[in-house]
Amino acid sequence: MREKKVWLVVTFHTTAAAIGMEKLCAARGVAGRLIPVPRALTADCGMAWRAEPAARAALEALAAEEGLEVEGFYELLI
Amino acid sequence: MKKIHWGVVLAGVAVGLAALILTAMGNPANMGFCIACFLRDIAGACGMHSAAKVQYVRPEIIGLVLGAFIMSVAGKEFRARAGSSPATRFVLGTVVMVGALAFLGCPLRMVLRLGGGDLNALVGLVGFFIGILIGVACLKRGFSLKRSYEVGAAEGGVLPSVMAALLILVLAVPTLFKFSEAGPGSMRAPFWIALVIALVVGALAQKSRLCMVGGLRDAVMLGDFHLLYGFAAIFVVTVIGNLAMDRFHLGFALQPVAHSAHLWNLLGMVLAGWGSVLLGGCPLRQLILAAQGNGDSAVTVFGMIVGAALAHNFGLAGNPDSKNEAGQLVVGGISNAGKVAVIAGLVVLLVIALWNMPKKEAAK
Repeated sequence: MREKKVWLVVTFHTTAAAIGMEKLCAARGVAGRLIPVPRALTADCGMAWRAEPAARAALEALAAEEGLEVEGFYELLI
Repeated sequence: MKKIHWGVVLAGVAVGLAALILTAMGNPANMGFCIACFLRDIAGACGMHSAAKVQYVRPEIIGLVLGAFIMSVAGKEFRARAGSSPATRFVLGTVVMVGALAFLGCPLRMVLRLGGGDLNALVGLVGFFIGILIGVACLKRGFSLKRSYEVGAAEGGVLPSVMAALLILVLAVPTLFKFSEAGPGSMRAPFWIALVIALVVGALAQKSRLCMVGGLRDAVMLGDFHLLYGFAAIFVVTVIGNLAMDRFHLGFALQPVAHSAHLWNLLGMVLAGWGSVLLGGCPLRQLILAAQGNGDSAVTVFGMIVGAALAHNFGLAGNPDSKNEAGQLVVGGISNAGKVAVIAGLVVLLVIALWNMPKKEAAK
């Protein structure tokens, strides 16, 4: 079974924004993947972007540059 | 090895057991729970349609909503939010209900029917999966009903309040409502037992985020199967329970409250699956989201209730298989009006999907 580790989890107001982040990261070569929003963060459903914590600055800049509305950045043991 | 989320499995086992108990105590066969059927029964009980066989204030719906509401408040997870294309969600709720009633069941009942050996539900599952795939394709092309916003607690509490009021009214003034004397609406587990069981199931569904649509969507898009474990658990428990109670009957014809018109079982569930992906959750999940403060999901539930009324007022819902006086099989299905409604529903979903995709210049 995969060991738990601390990840950066980026949440969005809409699924479309999460998918938008996936496309942006793929285009810019930023590592990460889409995951279901962790239950520890919300009782709602949807998708989030998971990346290494060190990628936070790059992701914040990317989201701001492309006008992608982010709900929050969280560091989470998952 | 994939991590198994035991919370959702436990919720699935509880739902499966609850469905078996409710059926054993009086609910129609393979209908321990059915969000579509039970909202339809409530619509009938309130006089919104006049199909005499499907009228009853189902305590299961009231319990699911209030159980999830209580759990969300206790867990400090009640968040009042709304404003994500509510009118479109109302229409989507209506369309999903037309599709579900053409099949004669929501995604949850589809799994319960499978657990009873009803192979028509397998046809429905294929249609449902096709609908999910179409919905996922829409999401990948940028479909969005836009974000919701924080609103006052009263707005988020509308559906729990409506259900509490319904509970008080049915207990205090039952003569206000219509109650079936024959047919599925007359087949009921004892009111208080059904209410208590549904309260527990609602709480567990809130905690586990159980959702058939979310499960398949996450499996297809993300390779994440954890929500599907819950439905696998429901299926396994109901198969074992039905076998133990000699209620497992494998086949297509004459299944309880089901028809074997394959094309319309399939297309009905394409409609339900596609519409539910656009909504972001199956009918059960809409109830739970509305219970934890989502006003948009409450609007969706109201759309489903209206969809149920329309389905019965215009004869769009499925008719079960039956036997004639000579003992011959009469295959049920849906009327021509129902067929037109299912096709029209698919067209409505296509229009809504296209309208809510980014325009070319914005998508760049």
